[in-house]
Parts: sequence; structure tokens; C-alpha cells
Amino acid sequence: MSQTILRVEGLSKVFPVSYSVVERVQGRPRRAVRALTEVNLEVRRGETLGIVGESGCGKSTLARCLVRLYDVDSGRIVYDGLEVSGLRGAALRQYNRRVQMVFQDPFSSLNPRMTVGQTLREAILVHRLRKPEQVPGRIRELLELVGLPADAENRLPHEFSGGQRQRIGIARALSVEPETLIADELVSALDVSVQAQVVNLLLKLQEQLHLTVLFVAHDLRLVRHLSHRVAVMYLGRIVELAETERLFTAPAHPYTQALLRAAPELDPSRKSVVEAVKGELPSPLNPPTGCPFHPRCPQAFERCSKEVPALLPRGPEGRWVACHLLEATP
Amino acid sequence: MAAPALLTVKPRARRRLKPSLVAGLVIIGAFVLMALFPQVIAPYSPTAFDYQAVLQGPTAKHLFGTDNFGRDVFSRVVWGAQLDMQIALFTTLFPFLFGTLIGALTGYYGRWADAIFGRVVDIVVTFPFLVLVIAIVAVLGPGLKNMYIAVSAVGWITYGRLIRAEIRGQKRAEYALAGQVMGYTPARIIFRHLLPNAITPAIVYWMTDMALGILLGSSLGYLGLGAQPPTAEWGVLIADGKNFLATAWWISTFPGLAITLAGVGFSLLGDGLADLLRPRG
Repeated sequence: MSQTILRVEGLSKVFPVSYSVVERVQGRPRRAVRALTEVNLEVRRGETLGIVGESGCGKSTLARCLVRLYDVDSGRIVYDGLEVSGLRGAALRQYNRRVQMVFQDPFSSLNPRMTVGQTLREAILVHRLRKPEQVPGRIRELLELVGLPADAENRLPHEFSGGQRQRIGIARALSVEPETLIADELVSALDVSVQAQVVNLLLKLQEQLHLTVLFVAHDLRLVRHLSHRVAVMYLGRIVELAETERLFTAPAHPYTQALLRAAPELDPSRKSVVEAVKGELPSPLNPPTGCPFHPRCPQAFERCSKEVPALLPRGPEGRWVACHLLEATP
Repeated sequence: MAAPALLTVKPRARRRLKPSLVAGLVIIGAFVLMALFPQVIAPYSPTAFDYQAVLQGPTAKHLFGTDNFGRDVFSRVVWGAQLDMQIALFTTLFPFLFGTLIGALTGYYGRWADAIFGRVVDIVVTFPFLVLVIAIVAVLGPGLKNMYIAVSAVGWITYGRLIRAEIRGQKRAEYALAGQVMGYTPARIIFRHLLPNAITPAIVYWMTDMALGILLGSSLGYLGLGAQPPTAEWGVLIADGKNFLATAWWISTFPGLAITLAGVGFSLLGDGLADLLRPRG
């Protein structure tokens, strides 16, 4: 269980912003969105790692870098001993067969002109996972696995509801028999009642197929329900990583504390009185110096604005935190 | 696990053919029949002179009348369909195919290919279409073959722009990203996934373009740059009758109506196809 399957080291990704002639003449520096900065992460075989953060924190960028939809600017992605960031051609195809992704938008993530059967058949045949005569049986197997009726095979995506489409997306990802599934906001576009069904399907599949899952989401309750460990991202960096229950019951990083406090509480008697965070989310075009959270942090001190805190292990239970406060009081 | 009621699939919506599609199919079908079997439909030869029956108005014997050589206008219009349907197809087929290919590639890859394509478009759209075509025909010499070359050299630009814009939109859709993550080759993603979702506007435009092709072929025929007399071509027929407009209106009018009807037919077909090809949901 504790064997590392995916290791990310110092991963950075920058999106350049268009550089106008006027800016060039004025001698202004070229601006860029720093989507990911020095991200370090280890994913263990068979676990579900939740990745949470506000929108714009880089969690989807991270997911897309991991499946090589984006080329990384610097840093390493090592999957099962294999350096991923430079893969091309057949080797990349082989990697993508092992590491699959389920997308966010149930309405645009399926080709509207291909039936469910065609979509699955294509994936199976391109990767030569079955002989052509075995494909129909495999498609039935996959549909059953994700809880879709057998007659779904000959239907087009528009004939399904959002939840069913996400099941189709999962079936497509599973059709190439991956070991790792990256779910980018898998259920955030669905109704709450349907969310639970899809999430429970993911749990069932993970157990059945021994999948490693990276669950990228902004919904804290879902992440808590699903994940073994949780990584919290802020402005392109991971600020805290810990086992789910430890993180939710005793958050160490001020940002994690604020995030949990900001989550809606069902019990009105437990209304929070402490101010969660102050100010606005800084622009990733112009991230603050030092700790990215220091302008909004209620406990910031001088060092926070000067020095970036490293993500370091804190305590015996495998918790990693990037915060100067914890360094000051070991 | 039995599928709960929530998982039953929505009933498939029945597709109804739009009246515009049916009307377009009937009109264009009629012209295609004329083009395929003119000898069956036309009562006379399109080029046979009959000096006993010169400049006769429409009668039961000569449905659309006769011209100044006694040629039967109805037969000439029917034989003209053969040539004008051919013009409609050959002035648009190459632009459609080549423009689609270039548009798909530049739209998907972007960068330098896109930049070059953009400049070519800028240059070509600066010239009025007809002027450019006439200039090329003037250089190559009149005749149908050179007209096809001239129209093809310019016409593919429009298809390229249409497809490029559609592909650029489609390639950001998550199903295109999913194709990449599935490990599909760019060729498979472009031609099997993106193009079927991007080609509808080009097909619809193709239908309109065929109407424009007939108009263009007729215009060039009228100007003496396209089909050459005595070939029965609608534009040539109109030109034949222009000196008799006051005395024998039928010589120019009926080929003109044929052009109009073909144009309407292609437009209706395009409209109907647009509805038929639109993805549901």
C-alpha cells in the first residue's frame, strides 16, 4: 500500500501571456501565468489522493500535466520508475494507456457523433487490447462495470443524462485497462443527487480494479469521503499534504484552516466567528513574494513575505506542510 | 446490480424530414435526371436548326419556343442542365476537398501553418472573386477547363476558413483532449473526431456554392469566357437571346428561370442538410 507509484519533483508550468508591441516598446518584462510552481508530490499505489484548492490554484493544470496534455516547463514526473515528462510517440501512448483521465464536462467530453459502442471499440482496438471478435463482449463488460444498461452501446451521447455521460467517460478511460485514473472535477457539473452515485461508482471501481486515483476537486466533503490522503493547493503550490482525517480534524497550514472554516456548516450552532481569510486571491500573473499565502494569512510575520516556505514533513504521521509558523515552533 | 429506474435511457427522438430538404431534393433531383438522361427528356436535338420554325413563341410543339435558328429552347435548357450541373460540381468539388484538408490541418496545428494560411487568405480576399477568376481565365484562355482551374484556385479559401474556425473551436472540447489522452494519433483525432463535428457548415456552404458556381459559370458563359457557343449552357443561352428580348422574350427567360430554380433548389437543400446534420442534445 505504501509503495510510491507516481512521484512529482519540482514541477513547474508557466503559461505565457500575449506580449503586445506596446509592452515590448515600453520595455516591460514578458508576463506569464505561473500555474504550477515547484510542485512536489508522491502518490502511493492503490490509494486515492485528493487534490483540493480554490479555482485557479493549478489543480487542473497539475492533472493535465500528469497525463501529458501539457508539456511541463521544468521538474520531473516519474511513474513507476519511468521518466514521463519527455515521452513521445509510442512510449507516450503506452504511458497514457496506464494513466488515464476522466474529464469534467459531461457534455463536451464525449464525441457527439460516436455511439458509446464506437467510442469504446476505438479505444480497445487502437491499443490492440482484444481481438476484434472479442470486442463486443468487452464492451458489454465495461458497460456493466460502470452500471449502464447493455442497450447503451448503440446510443449517442445526447441520449444520456449528465451522470450517465460521466459513467461513459469512466468506461472509456477503463477500456484501456489503466492502473491510475485521474479524475478532474469528475462530478462538479452534476446534480448533488447524482454526484453521490458517480462517486460511489468510483469507490467501487477502485476497490474492484485496484486503481490508483487522483481525485481533483473543489468540494471538500467529496474529497473527504473518497480520499485516503489530501493535498491542498494554493496559487500553484502544494501547501499541505496529509492523511484525510488528520487534515480535516487538525489542519496545520493557515490556508487549510481557512479553507475548512469557509466550508458551509450544516449545524448553525457551530457558526464560525474567526475571520477565515482577508483580501482577494492574488493574481497568478503577479504572485506575492515569499509564501504565496502571506498577504491573506492572519498569522503572517516578517519572514513570510521574504522566504518561500518549503514543503517539509511535520510530525510522525506523514504530514507535509509548507509554513514558516511550524518551523518556528518545531 | 440491477440498473435502477434512474439509469433507463431516454427514448430516441424520431427524426422528421424538413420540408425544405424535401423540396430541395425534388428540384435538384429533377435537374440531375435532366443532366443524366437529356436525350430521353428533350424532344429535339439542342443544336438542330429548323428554319421552318424560327423565333416561335411557346406552343405545345415547342414548350419554351424556338430561337433565331429554330432550335428548341426547351431541349437546349434540358441539355444545358447537363453542363450546368457539371459546372456546379466541378467548380466546387476541389475547393471543398482541398479547403477542408487545409482548414483542418491549419486549425489543428496552428502556429506557422496557420500564419501562412492567414496571409494567403488576406491576399486573396483583397480581390473581388469574379475579377480574380476573370483575370485567371484571361491568362489561361477561355473554356470550361480553364474556368474550373480558375475557380478552384480561389474558391478553396472560403472552405479553408470555415473549417479552420470550426476545428479551432472543436479542438478545445474535452473529447478532443480525451482523444489525446487515449493515445490517438493526430490524424485520427483530426479526421475521425474533429472533422465530423466541424464539417457541417462547409457542407451547407457547399450547396450554396454550387448555386453560385452555376451563376458564375453562366456569367462567364454569357461573357464568352466559359462554355463556348453553340454548346447549350444556360448562360450562353441567355446571351443568345439578349438581342431578341423585346421580340422573343422566351429565349433568355426560360434558361434564366432554370438558373433561378437551380439556385433555389441548392439553397433549400443546404438549409435542409444543416438541420439534418446538426448534432442533437
